[in-house]
Amino acid sequence: MRALTLTILLGFSPATLFAADFSADDYLKQIKPVLKERCFACHGALKKKGKLRLDTVASMRSKDVLGKDGEMLARLMSADLEERMPPEGEALKAHEIATIKKWIVAGSPAPAGEKPEADPKSHWAFQRIERPKGFAPGKANPIDAYFAARHKAAGFVAQPAAARTLLLRRLYLDLTGLPPTVEQLASKDALPKIIDDVLKRPQYGERWGRHWMDVWRYSDWYGLGKEVRNSQKHIWRWRDWIVNSLNENKGYDQMVREMLAGDEIAPKDPEAIAATGFLARGYYKFNRTTWLDRTIEHTGKAFMGLTLNCAKCHDHKYDPIDHVDYYKFRAIFEPYQVRVDVMPGSLDLEKNGLTRVYDGNLGAATYLHKRGEEAKADKSKKISAGPPSVLAAMWEPPKPVTLPDEAWRPEMQKFVQEGVLAQAQTKVTAAQAHLEKLKRQKAGVTQNRKPAPKPVANTKQKKPVSKPAVGGSVLVDDFSKARPDLWELVGNDWRYQGGLLSLTKPSVGKSYLRSKAKHPQDFELNLKFQTTGGDKWKSVGIRFDVDQGGNNSHFVYASAYGSGKVHLAHTIEGKDVYTKALAKRPIKLNQEYTLNLKVRGLLINVALNGQFLFAYNLPRRQAGAVQLLAYDAIADFYAIEVKPLPTATVLKNASEQAKPIVVANKVPVITAGVIELAQAKLNLAKAEYALAKARIDADSARRMQLEVSLAKARVDLLDPKQAAKAAGSIKKLEADRKAGKFPAYKPLSVSKVSLIKTKNKDALPSSGGYPKTSSGRRTALAKWLTHRDHPLAARVAVNHIWMRHFGEPLVESVADFGLRAPKPLHQDLLDYLAVELIESGWDMKHLHRLMLSSKTWQRSSSNLGADKKTLAGDKSNHHYWRMNSRRMESQVVRDSLLHLAGTLDLTRGGPSIASSPNVRRRSLYFIHSRDGRSKFLATFDDADMLACYRRSESIVPQQALAMMNSQTAIAASRAIAATFKPDMDAQAFVRSAFMMILGRQPAQAELAASKTFLEQEPKRDHFIHVLINHNDFLVIR
Amino acid sequence: MNHDDPYAISRRSILQSALGFSALAVNGLMAAENKHVLPDGQPHFQPKAKRVIWLFMRGGVSHMESFDPKPELSKFAGKSIGETPYKSVLDPSKIRKLRIPIKGDANGHTRTKIFPLQTGFKKYGQSGIEVSDWFPNIGSCADDIAFIRSMWTSDNNHGAQVQFHSGRHMLDPRVPTIGAWINYGLGSLSDNLPQFINIGPRFFDLKDGHYLGPAYDAVNLKIDPRNPLAYAKPHGGITASDQLKNLKLTNKLNRIASEQYPLDPVIEARMKSYELAYRMQTAVPEALDFKKESTETRKLYGLDQNETKTFGQQLLAARRMSERGVRFIQIMHGDGAAGAWDNHSGLKKGHTKLSKQVDLPTAGLLKDLKQRGLLEDTIVVFATEFGRTPGSQGANGRDHHAFGFSVWMAGGGLKGGVVNGATDELGYHAIEDPHYVTDVHATINHLMGINPRKLEVPGHKRLDRDYGHVINPILA
Repeated sequence: MRALTLTILLGFSPATLFAADFSADDYLKQIKPVLKERCFACHGALKKKGKLRLDTVASMRSKDVLGKDGEMLARLMSADLEERMPPEGEALKAHEIATIKKWIVAGSPAPAGEKPEADPKSHWAFQRIERPKGFAPGKANPIDAYFAARHKAAGFVAQPAAARTLLLRRLYLDLTGLPPTVEQLASKDALPKIIDDVLKRPQYGERWGRHWMDVWRYSDWYGLGKEVRNSQKHIWRWRDWIVNSLNENKGYDQMVREMLAGDEIAPKDPEAIAATGFLARGYYKFNRTTWLDRTIEHTGKAFMGLTLNCAKCHDHKYDPIDHVDYYKFRAIFEPYQVRVDVMPGSLDLEKNGLTRVYDGNLGAATYLHKRGEEAKADKSKKISAGPPSVLAAMWEPPKPVTLPDEAWRPEMQKFVQEGVLAQAQTKVTAAQAHLEKLKRQKAGVTQNRKPAPKPVANTKQKKPVSKPAVGGSVLVDDFSKARPDLWELVGNDWRYQGGLLSLTKPSVGKSYLRSKAKHPQDFELNLKFQTTGGDKWKSVGIRFDVDQGGNNSHFVYASAYGSGKVHLAHTIEGKDVYTKALAKRPIKLNQEYTLNLKVRGLLINVALNGQFLFAYNLPRRQAGAVQLLAYDAIADFYAIEVKPLPTATVLKNASEQAKPIVVANKVPVITAGVIELAQAKLNLAKAEYALAKARIDADSARRMQLEVSLAKARVDLLDPKQAAKAAGSIKKLEADRKAGKFPAYKPLSVSKVSLIKTKNKDALPSSGGYPKTSSGRRTALAKWLTHRDHPLAARVAVNHIWMRHFGEPLVESVADFGLRAPKPLHQDLLDYLAVELIESGWDMKHLHRLMLSSKTWQRSSSNLGADKKTLAGDKSNHHYWRMNSRRMESQVVRDSLLHLAGTLDLTRGGPSIASSPNVRRRSLYFIHSRDGRSKFLATFDDADMLACYRRSESIVPQQALAMMNSQTAIAASRAIAATFKPDMDAQAFVRSAFMMILGRQPAQAELAASKTFLEQEPKRDHFIHVLINHNDFLVIR
Repeated sequence: MNHDDPYAISRRSILQSALGFSALAVNGLMAAENKHVLPDGQPHFQPKAKRVIWLFMRGGVSHMESFDPKPELSKFAGKSIGETPYKSVLDPSKIRKLRIPIKGDANGHTRTKIFPLQTGFKKYGQSGIEVSDWFPNIGSCADDIAFIRSMWTSDNNHGAQVQFHSGRHMLDPRVPTIGAWINYGLGSLSDNLPQFINIGPRFFDLKDGHYLGPAYDAVNLKIDPRNPLAYAKPHGGITASDQLKNLKLTNKLNRIASEQYPLDPVIEARMKSYELAYRMQTAVPEALDFKKESTETRKLYGLDQNETKTFGQQLLAARRMSERGVRFIQIMHGDGAAGAWDNHSGLKKGHTKLSKQVDLPTAGLLKDLKQRGLLEDTIVVFATEFGRTPGSQGANGRDHHAFGFSVWMAGGGLKGGVVNGATDELGYHAIEDPHYVTDVHATINHLMGINPRKLEVPGHKRLDRDYGHVINPILA
């Protein structure tokens, strides 16, 4: 320890020596806060380093550290970093030290009855949850009983109940995230019945699923390009598990257990295993420690409200969680890895699978990282799994779990076996059929050889071909709005916005607009566009003569790659054929270009921005459509015009003949070699089938693996490029077979998308496939968390649920219930509800019912007519004398617009979808990750998938722009307007629209203003647009 | 409030509701009255500058071939560092600690074979400061610039971009960037334009405000008056006059409804946000419309040349936005996730091309600001996330280098023609006056009249390192 070379002097005798120009009160105001901030963490209730406490004057005196030459001042002022206090961060400021000195010189006066800081173990949130004493609501709603008492004591008067229809709007939005229909608003049923009915709707699971997805940080995979760096593919199954579990009213405790240890507690149940997506989501490709750090942090925050992350590098500064506790908690997770299991349906793990965790590395050791640095891991001591010591009473040591066969040999599941065999059988059948076809063709061809048709040659251009193509029409579009009458639109990344059409993601031919009508044979085309970005080629242009299937066309494009060019090419039977018709021109991003094509017969002239580029003779023509083209590019399209080419227009001739395109019917020549190849491939397919079958019997699998390799080598032998290598392989394999040397056993369904492929050695499971047992640590964690004696889980859960009904949490810091969270104002209520939750079997619907059937929740959210004393005494509504208004979350905004328009697709579940204004599913199914985000949702404070324990509710002009201008909002207003009968008179329409969109009747003044508006602007969709921009649409009153 | 024209209200009044507390960015996390009071938008002391134009080169500009030329590299080309008189740079005790986000990363290694300078350098101006031949135009403005040659950071991968903007390592919880702090701390200079604008690509950190709230995020703009920002124009067939009519009715109905909800700060704030949005629709495209700019101006920014056109347009837009009252304009140069300046190979080719894109327009910006009298109260920052290794990577590249790199600042309250800090002869370590990235933030805050400690949000304690130290020698 630090050797102190200073002597400790006698302390001054208290107070008598000097006049108190520094009082005990000054100590409380100026000194104690500094000591609290900088010193208590080590010298207070949390720990007593050097057996010294600084949280009371008495304790300071008892250790004799005060005094002008005392240890305290000496340490504070020491220039020696080994001795200086505090030892971390900067020294106390000069004026702070001066103040302390002043106080010491004044005799260090102490305030009367100064209490030491409370023992951290006595923190309110660490006490077992009990029903509060003296609070027995009996049959009354406990929330109402609780606040009735508060209001009585304070002399507050609560607001009356909200208007019926506003209340129903609030109810439906709270529980389903969708506004009530006009019929539902008109219901005369009693409220308890409506609550029950709405709780039964599957949309409840989706609404509250999205809430819990916030807390549990749901994220689809993201990374760089195709590389998964964070989260995992197919993690949507975890989302579906959340929605389904809530709809089944699975207990919260059961949900927690399944998320943390579903693979251990229900290893045969893929539904429960899908819950472990919670842990799979934490995957981070590059650094195992970072991955586990995040797991620790968010398991702590989400379920317990404990900031365990603060103890990664040092003891927690405020909570009784020390450095070792962090690594004990890490040890719980140390063995776990991620993998993807085969699911019924496609066996291709890229397309389909069950993303889940399992204990892949049972031998992995956990060490303390000194100062949180991995390089400084203390390998002398292995840390065993356990909870923070302060809450260890209810911990039971982990018991290893023996896993059923399905868990560690998932390929043994019947559906997998059948699927693999079926796949292999299909290959055999196809190879057989192909061989037979070739044999037949060989036999048939020698008899009647069809003459090869003449190649389609280029003819010299004499005069224009006169007949226009069938249906040759004029096409004009300024792309200001969608024209489904003109175009077939393919792809999710097109946006009509700002008066133009944007392609927002680069693709390779998967996004296009193809005209529904064919263009005239002789035509002139102008396309105005700008390329705004892209990956490499950044090619934008136009196809014409596009045939029915899109496999044949001609195309002209401008590429911004390199020094830029404009090029003409053909697509023939799906393959691109490039020509010499090319002009090098710099094509800049974010610059407007007009591409002009003039086509007459086979002759085409291409110009860019009015400048002629080249002429070319097309090899052939066909009647077809035009198609917008963007390859590897993002672009804006401003306008297109296609018209018949005026006969007067003179075209420049092409300088050379085009190469003829030979589209001959290919008649394959069947030689003996071809047959031999097909036979070899058939043998390969049969061998693979046999392997698949035999793998089920593990022993023969190893033999058949060799047979497959041999069969494959025999195929390769027939390929001149591979022959030499194959010959070598065959020689070796035959020798191995003779010697009985067979390859090691490989599990059938080695996952392609899990960690097994990573370079990160930490992430590899132990060799030879998945372990047969699991450590049981996460089960121990799950049981501990949901133990009746655990003081945190239920409180944290109730707080989250309360906040999402009442607009404010009972505990402000929803993810930190540690010592920095003061005892909440309504702790009794929190604890009562927490016990209700636990004793009801952790039944969340029970809690919803309690909250929603309370008068407290049903109160008006307005201050109108509020009792003056109440308003003055509790302006912020801490005592819930009225309801709080809340703004809709982003998903609710979009879902509500679509629901009112009658266009919402209520299909549930399934893989995450790319967001687009053309997609109609509920917003929670959009891809949600750092890379894939919906722009509309992001504008309204979408959940941050790094951490979102509580959503923001901002008011920014971008939201106004979105509601005023976006395709989603405008399309919705039109669709909503269309649901009204056109013969409805203005007044009825206004009333009906108010009820539908705002959940209430209009006041006289509102009615008058609306009618005046409609007189000038009879288009009703404008009025609907006004209402969806009304504050009371976005706000849940 | 101007009752005659509700569409011409000052933003500061937007923030004051009838009760006198700020409400525009009503944020669920922040609204708890007793805890947190939003700043009033006034500087804490007399500022020297009003606005910031922040030019960020993504990917890592080679400091030895930009603003800290190192002829010794050419002298010892091809030799290993151990063979030079400077081998002590590799002394483990000198190497600053890095926090490595990616274990086993192929990049960010120690490179010991010295790679010669890929271009020359000259002295410029009266100050005689040496600048690489890749930046001759910026060099010609050397007398107006304060170069800082001793920056360092602790991430040797591109998370350093996050770090340069926020002061915290990418693996730490995200905290607000310097732009967000400025936006948060100071009031609005314009009724019609967002105060914090970002132009150009970003990858690792798409938000700025973080715990301050999304109201302080930058608004992303494109230099295309037709399509400058998200939802700037009504979709399909709604005319401007229709829109205005709709908006007026919305506001009228909101006003009537507000009588039913007295003391509700949200209605007022939302109405103001609509008014600002409406004005932004015309103000933003107008700021980006260069029709009225003279030929000389266009030439100054390089709008007449293909290489410089894109960046030049962005800088011209920045000048226009400065005139029209935008507080913090952040321009990111360098496409790609990592950033185009990240030349692990082909350094000469890459940097030649990239510097050509930015050199002339940046000098043009400085000159243009100066001649319009704007440079006196504008801070221009030219920065990058780290430098590049003195040693070669592969045949012709340089790797990431966090131990010493260069940035420069110019404008309001700053000296021109000065150099602060130095690296050793190889450009390896910042040895004289080393500055962690937050020193740039501290300097900006100081010049803008902000005491960042006064902006600290309860529950989000900032460390001393987050605040940085003002770089005093470069202050005028």
